Amino acid sequence: MNITRRSFIKSLALNSAVAAASTLFPGISFGAWKSKDIPAGMIQWKKTPCRFCGTGCGLLVGVSSERAVAVKGDPNCTVNKGLCCVKGYHSIQILYGEDRIKKALVRKNGKLVEVPLKEALDLVAEKMKETIKSHGKDAVAIYGSGQWSIPDGYAASKLFKGCIGTNNVEANARLCMASAVTGFLTSFGLDEPMGCYDDIDHADVFVTWGNNMAEMHPVLFSRMLANRTSKKHVKIIDFATRTTRSSQGSDKSILFRPQTDLAVANAICYEIIRNKWVNWDFVKKHVSFHKGKTNIGYGTQDHFKFKDKAETVDFKQYKEFLKDYTPENVEKISGVSAQDIKYMASLYGDPDKKVTSFWCMGMNQHTRGTWINNLVYNIHLLVGKISSPGNSPFSLTGQPSACGTVREVGTLTHKLPHGVVMQEEARKMAAEIWQVPVENIDPKPTYHTVEMFRALDRGDIRFMWVQVTNPMVTMPNLKRYRNGALKDGRFMVVSEIYPTPTSDVADVVLPSALWIEREGFFGNSERRTQHNEQIVPMPGETVSNTWQIIEVARKMGFEKQFPWSRKTYIEDIWNEYIRFHDNPKHRMAPYKELKARSGIQWPFVNGMETKWRYNPKYDPAAKGDDFDFYGKPDRKAWIWLRPYEPAAESPDSEYPFWLNTGRVLEHWHTGSMTRRVPILHRAVPSSYVEVNPDDAARLGITNGSQVKITSRRGSIVMTANINGRGNPPMGMVFVPFFDEKYLINEVTLDAFCPISKQPDYKKCAVKLERA
Amino acid sequence: MEKPKHKADRKVGKVFLIFAGICVVILPFVVLAALSYEPQEIEAAVVETQSRDFDQNGEAVFANYDRISADYLQGTSTERTLAEYYSRRQYAGSPPYIPHKVQETDGTKLACLTCHARGGWTQELKRNTPITPHPEQTYCRQCHAKTVTEKLFVASDWMSLPPPRLGRSHLPGSPPPIPHDLQMRGNCIACHVGPGAVTTIRVEHPSRGNCRQCHVPDAFTVPFKRKSLAG
Repeated sequence: MNITRRSFIKSLALNSAVAAASTLFPGISFGAWKSKDIPAGMIQWKKTPCRFCGTGCGLLVGVSSERAVAVKGDPNCTVNKGLCCVKGYHSIQILYGEDRIKKALVRKNGKLVEVPLKEALDLVAEKMKETIKSHGKDAVAIYGSGQWSIPDGYAASKLFKGCIGTNNVEANARLCMASAVTGFLTSFGLDEPMGCYDDIDHADVFVTWGNNMAEMHPVLFSRMLANRTSKKHVKIIDFATRTTRSSQGSDKSILFRPQTDLAVANAICYEIIRNKWVNWDFVKKHVSFHKGKTNIGYGTQDHFKFKDKAETVDFKQYKEFLKDYTPENVEKISGVSAQDIKYMASLYGDPDKKVTSFWCMGMNQHTRGTWINNLVYNIHLLVGKISSPGNSPFSLTGQPSACGTVREVGTLTHKLPHGVVMQEEARKMAAEIWQVPVENIDPKPTYHTVEMFRALDRGDIRFMWVQVTNPMVTMPNLKRYRNGALKDGRFMVVSEIYPTPTSDVADVVLPSALWIEREGFFGNSERRTQHNEQIVPMPGETVSNTWQIIEVARKMGFEKQFPWSRKTYIEDIWNEYIRFHDNPKHRMAPYKELKARSGIQWPFVNGMETKWRYNPKYDPAAKGDDFDFYGKPDRKAWIWLRPYEPAAESPDSEYPFWLNTGRVLEHWHTGSMTRRVPILHRAVPSSYVEVNPDDAARLGITNGSQVKITSRRGSIVMTANINGRGNPPMGMVFVPFFDEKYLINEVTLDAFCPISKQPDYKKCAVKLERA
Repeated sequence: MEKPKHKADRKVGKVFLIFAGICVVILPFVVLAALSYEPQEIEAAVVETQSRDFDQNGEAVFANYDRISADYLQGTSTERTLAEYYSRRQYAGSPPYIPHKVQETDGTKLACLTCHARGGWTQELKRNTPITPHPEQTYCRQCHAKTVTEKLFVASDWMSLPPPRLGRSHLPGSPPPIPHDLQMRGNCIACHVGPGAVTTIRVEHPSRGNCRQCHVPDAFTVPFKRKSLAG
């Protein structure tokens, strides 16, 4: 220890100064926040899943005097093991924006005015009855969300499908997960991933397909990095259309031209077969080959209809189909070098490497979304790398309960909680559990989301109730649908927490309780159901979305179907709902267990969670000794022959740029919550357009200058961002969609995957000029 | 009556003149001293990767302690104040924002840890770098945002608890308990030792490595209510 005389005196002076300050100001608070006048440390920690993405992190929310005051990661939750992202750590601040909607609003003489909640709910029920009487039951619709708590979606489905008898139930997950669902159904016959997040700890190679996980699923990205740190040989390959933070964190970044992932996936399979890397034991026993229709269109016109037809083929035909997809051919279409294609194939093909593929919106928001999902499954199936620890084709979800509420409860036009409306068995089961006559449930699906808003514009739908989503920012080709919602004779009900462009077009705004202000359940990407209790009181006259639906249902005369008390309705709904899934392929955990634990994975059979489906070692529903793909009638996983087909709209001489849209780490979707969180808004206060530096130089655009982006649908002027956190390749621009001031969806195209009906937000043609 | 007053005034004036004179004489020395003052460059500490809490990782914490040079342990500075520390947080324990310039595209690495894993003097910012207590987390921007404006989208009604009070010794002079949560902050020396530490919470006895010998966690304070077994 060499304490010099000088430093000794210095520290002495310092210490006495500190001592003086602390006697003068005992309990002084230095924070950047208003302090609650309660003793420091009086804090209780309550568990909840995070409100934001589909990762489903467990949070512990610190509560003091009925206010949420702090957050830490839940160390008991296996998803995140105590770590959150910046949104999660500050998530509770979404409760406290100054302009929180705490009272019901009704439009009177063109203006929204505050009314008692009862009056607003009466009006909603009245309008609904009136619309059904004058325009028929299919003139009323509900449009919900993957952020709906499970009981919200369940109550909505029961009221609309069971009681009113219309299949006009859709959710924004159609814009987000529909291609993942149809991908699962066509390849495996059952929805949702076979694997789980534990795959991240086991895998040797990760390939992220058009998936900027560092920003969209940061906690899982960190888990990949942790695996790579502990096992030095682990590789992360970022296969994407632009360079992002994920590319920076990966071992290799491979860029492809938009839409050509279809060709590259086929080329990888071509290489696997050519190099004899096919796992024949697996393929012979567990795989069958199928072909569907081609040239299937893009759905840009009203009333577009498409139905795929599967034709069984054999391996020879599959090999023949692949012969066009040599790495050299595909290099020309995709811009990915043949060498890189071969490299990716070698990673998938190496029998000693466990491979996990991740994807989310890049593959789902794709006019061939179902196909590209199928094609990535093809790769995993050819090499048998599936349904076992570390071998996992993993479709990530964007929203906290896209799986839990939309996919499992089935809040889509063709779905019921178990099965689809077209199946008599499924209708019978629903009618029995819901206590409604079976004839009530319409066997014909009505409108998927895009078509539902088109129907609203046309006047086929007259009444629409929107909950937990902001379609007046998120619908592609937005102008048409906003004008539609504003037409005479349309009645819009919006359940909201803050004013948004969607509440701007509402005739009634219902004040909703947020996530931890009410009890509920979410279901995350890995089949994990997560319960949260009510942690803080509901402000003002807010109530849960579930309770809004229950009240309206009762006012419409469905007291018998909605008998629950305000105290126990969430538990009662859970107990009724899980009757739909009471089989070993999908059994849900009982209420009591869910309340006690930080999430439980289904199928939950004999007190055990199922980590890997279709594998008898882990899945009680699987028979035999290695794998059992019991979702399909032939008990096999299906490889599909899906060709490359171009995007609905590609750049040309008039509109020479691709427009790609998406999110940023700090903001959740349309920003109606995260922009009210101080640090998140301060980090990314407004949207911008990312321009490639060479394009910018050519067009005379500099960082921070104004740029006009124009498509065939509309135009927008916004600030250029060059060499920012993301960098698009030449010929592409990228715009985050969170900012309601810059409605980029007035520029995007409402083309969708004909099978999943999910729009493609990642590809349309625009021109760029200095503004 | 007038004279004495005049006399007193003159006396005050004289004292002032002498004082001013002394000041003028001393001033150059003060300025010179201030100008020639250079913060000591202290060799950086190396905080080894460790995860979770001290209770599971005591060994790593001790090993880490052994690795840190005596110079670093004793290093001081007065740059960082508690007020500044909390001004970067939304509640005690929230991840602080990034208060300095960062480059968005810096090649292939997320490079914060180059400085924040080891601490030490940074010439660019003319400051001592604070050390992260959780260097095992390598994707820093996941939780630490770079703010670009002070403005808000709409005002917020946010409030939280006051930060833990200092000097909560239970007896005069007894070692104060640990007033904060230890999740991701279980490595005491990262924040409480060396020139990167906040002045007010830097320990005066950095040569003692077993912090938990005397300082015990006292963050969970829901009052204990005894239930009689007899019911």
